Amino acid sequence: MSEKELGKKWDRCLADGAIKVGTGLGLGIVLSVLFFKRHTWPISFCSAAGLGMAYGNCQSDLRSSYLLHRNEKEQ
Amino acid sequence: MAARMLPVVKLATKVTIGGGALYVAWDSGLLGSSEQGSEALQKAKAAIPPAIEEWMKYFGLETQLPNIPKVEFSPVQAWNSGVRQSISTLSEAPTNATKYTNQGLQYLKDLAK
Repeated sequence: MSEKELGKKWDRCLADGAIKVGTGLGLGIVLSVLFFKRHTWPISFCSAAGLGMAYGNCQSDLRSSYLLHRNEKEQ
Repeated sequence: MAARMLPVVKLATKVTIGGGALYVAWDSGLLGSSEQGSEALQKAKAAIPPAIEEWMKYFGLETQLPNIPKVEFSPVQAWNSGVRQSISTLSEAPTNATKYTNQGLQYLKDLAK
């Protein structure tokens, strides 16, 4: 993996992280207002879930260059 | 009859709204892979200035908001150059420390003569 590619992967990771935390925050607010009587914990929970999803995506993205992919195996 | 139906209707409305929000988030790729997430961020960044303009027009605040001046400052460039500068200073630190110590000692020796 070249350095340029690594830089792009990190950029994607950060952008994805921002999007997912924001989405989690938004959904958390909606759920908190609708179902959980405006408590704070659904907001924290959903934001943290978004962060976790972004972490998983980032981990998978950074590891993908070291893994043998299915279409390469078939060749 | 209507009194009994009301809580059910309320719950159904809440579930519809909550489910709809979740569906919209999933459908627009916000909960997908890294590529989809970064694409969504680019689209959002591109869509914000026209959206702000439209809102300003709607509220009639067009004339009041001054133009945000374009600052020729890139945080990425600043950060990168900061990192390079720090690392190069650290790598030259032992050499420079030896040099300055020797110069200091030489100066003291000259003073002592």
